[in-house]
Amino acid sequence: METTIGLVGKGFAIVAADRSAARSIVVFKQDEDKVLVLDKFKLLGSAGVAADSVAFTEYVQKNMALYEINSGLALSTRAASNFIRGELATALRRGPYQTNLLLGGYDAGDGASLYYIDYLASCNKVNFGCHGYASNFVLSILDREWKDGLTEEEGIEIIRKCIAELQVRFLVSLPKFTIKIVDHNGTRDLPQPVLAAA
Amino acid sequence: MSILEHNGAAIIAMAGKNCVAIGADTRFGLRMQTVATDFEKVFKMSNNVFVGLAGLATDVQTLRNLLKFRLSLYALREERDMKPEAFAALLSHLLYEKRFGPYFIEPLVAGLKDGDQPFLCGMDLIGAPVYTNDFVVSGTCTPNMNGMCESLWRPDMTPDDLFEAVSQCLLASVDRDAMSGWGAVVHVITPDGVTSKRLKGRMD
Amino acid sequence: MRLESILDLGKKKVAAATDELGFALAGVKDPAAYSAANFSASYGATQDVKFAKGTTTLAFKFDGGVIVSVDSRSTMGNYIASQTVKKVIEINPFLLGTMAGGAADCSFWERNLGTQCRMYELRNKKRVSVAAASKMLANTMYRYRGRGLSMGTMICGWDASGPKLYYVDDDGTRLEGDVFCVGSGSTYAYGVIDSHLRRDLTVDEAVDLGRRAIAGAAHRDAMSGGWNNLYHVTEDGWRFLGQSGR
Repeated sequence: METTIGLVGKGFAIVAADRSAARSIVVFKQDEDKVLVLDKFKLLGSAGVAADSVAFTEYVQKNMALYEINSGLALSTRAASNFIRGELATALRRGPYQTNLLLGGYDAGDGASLYYIDYLASCNKVNFGCHGYASNFVLSILDREWKDGLTEEEGIEIIRKCIAELQVRFLVSLPKFTIKIVDHNGTRDLPQPVLAAA
Repeated sequence: MSILEHNGAAIIAMAGKNCVAIGADTRFGLRMQTVATDFEKVFKMSNNVFVGLAGLATDVQTLRNLLKFRLSLYALREERDMKPEAFAALLSHLLYEKRFGPYFIEPLVAGLKDGDQPFLCGMDLIGAPVYTNDFVVSGTCTPNMNGMCESLWRPDMTPDDLFEAVSQCLLASVDRDAMSGWGAVVHVITPDGVTSKRLKGRMD
Repeated sequence: MRLESILDLGKKKVAAATDELGFALAGVKDPAAYSAANFSASYGATQDVKFAKGTTTLAFKFDGGVIVSVDSRSTMGNYIASQTVKKVIEINPFLLGTMAGGAADCSFWERNLGTQCRMYELRNKKRVSVAAASKMLANTMYRYRGRGLSMGTMICGWDASGPKLYYVDDDGTRLEGDVFCVGSGSTYAYGVIDSHLRRDLTVDEAVDLGRRAIAGAAHRDAMSGGWNNLYHVTEDGWRFLGQSGR
């Protein structure tokens, strides 16, 4: 079902998410974009209840924009992860947002980074991560394939392997994925990788 | 299964002669799935007080931030470090403030009192303190840790012996617990300073 | 009071109800539902009696035969009851069974399968096929459906028709296939196997893949771990390749 996968490479981070919007036994659409561009150097992938994911990620996006207008300062990826964690933790005790997040970003000094934040507002800086049932299939692939200093091509190839595995083994059909990358040039979309027919 | 066991943890604090040690595993998991192996659960609160937070990871981070905030204010106002006794009282009150919607944390406090005497304290999730002179444990494998500590603890250990004892207790305990392990950190607090070491453990 | 009633029961010599294999049945209206609720290995929050379980096992076919690779951890709740469980059961020199689910259920019923296979050999003067052996186990499971047995097994072997691999579980499902991973860590193992398995792997490569898949699952799945036991099945029967630590 809802899936988001991310990894960090040399000077870039990739965040991918499935494109299905479903409820109960119905799939509404297959072109939903669940990787929000937070600002020029940040991507926020979400997996969870659709309404909560949209409400929370947009809330974060707008408040970060407001902060930047007020202070003239943009949050670093680390600062953004703390802001997001704090908001999610505050919400947790008064009716939580059911949304699991992967925050990928690029900072001029520190390079690329990825933060794994779950709906309980636990936050971890990671080299790669995955939310949802898909994590059961994908994490072992990332464990084996990820290494320090991945090139962009290698990073995309790993994401392709993960998606290919889901399409072979995962009961739920996830035909399409959004894949976005962030590096020193900012964020951009990547094409859906070509998967060999199973 | 309890929400306290959602993320997994194993923390031990132990007293030696004019020194205390506190050690914790580094796993962050979601029930059976190991997500990260470098999660911090023990935090330096001042030069001679450390706190170990075992329980729900989100509350570990929330409480760490809150404690850091309250201690910074104290340091600004008082221009001195908080003593371990006072810190334990502060923590107990912070926990009881949330009596009807608690932080899911069972913390340990380890520090050196005036005269370099060891201070150890454990609490339940709403702040009931237990003070001990030898050792105190918290987390998902307390029977294992209590058993190990009962057999390895000796009175008046040197800092080196204390480090060895805490490390052995921790590693042996987490090897029989599915929810904790994947590496550990141990801090030894002495009047001359703190030594912190990372331990490699089984990664399964 | 309770003790007395038990003693009374003894005096009255109530003949214990048994099923066709001689298992004593619980003295309640619906013995099947009672044991499914209280003595199941797939325990929920309500069950007090907890059995040893938690596993990653896998087997796959390639040109050089069948590789069987398993972990060795047994957990009861969060407690690691053992790190040295043998999860491959040597049914006979040409047949292996793997263990996932209830440890007692698997070892009992696979030993029972061994007996059935030996009886087949004695009656028919030829080795039992893997298809027949796995079918016997599936039939046994089907007969005990709904009693709370817990077993996910792979029956692996080599017979007249070549290398064979079957999956059999507690509700009587029996599947033939080229790759199976079973247990709580199976999804992680599939992740590693699927992205690297080819029919033309050398034996060394296949053994390495089996080992890495278990290591990957043991790392991510809290309920899997310990040692890795590896077997290789060829036309000469199975061979134990040894136990490797991590």
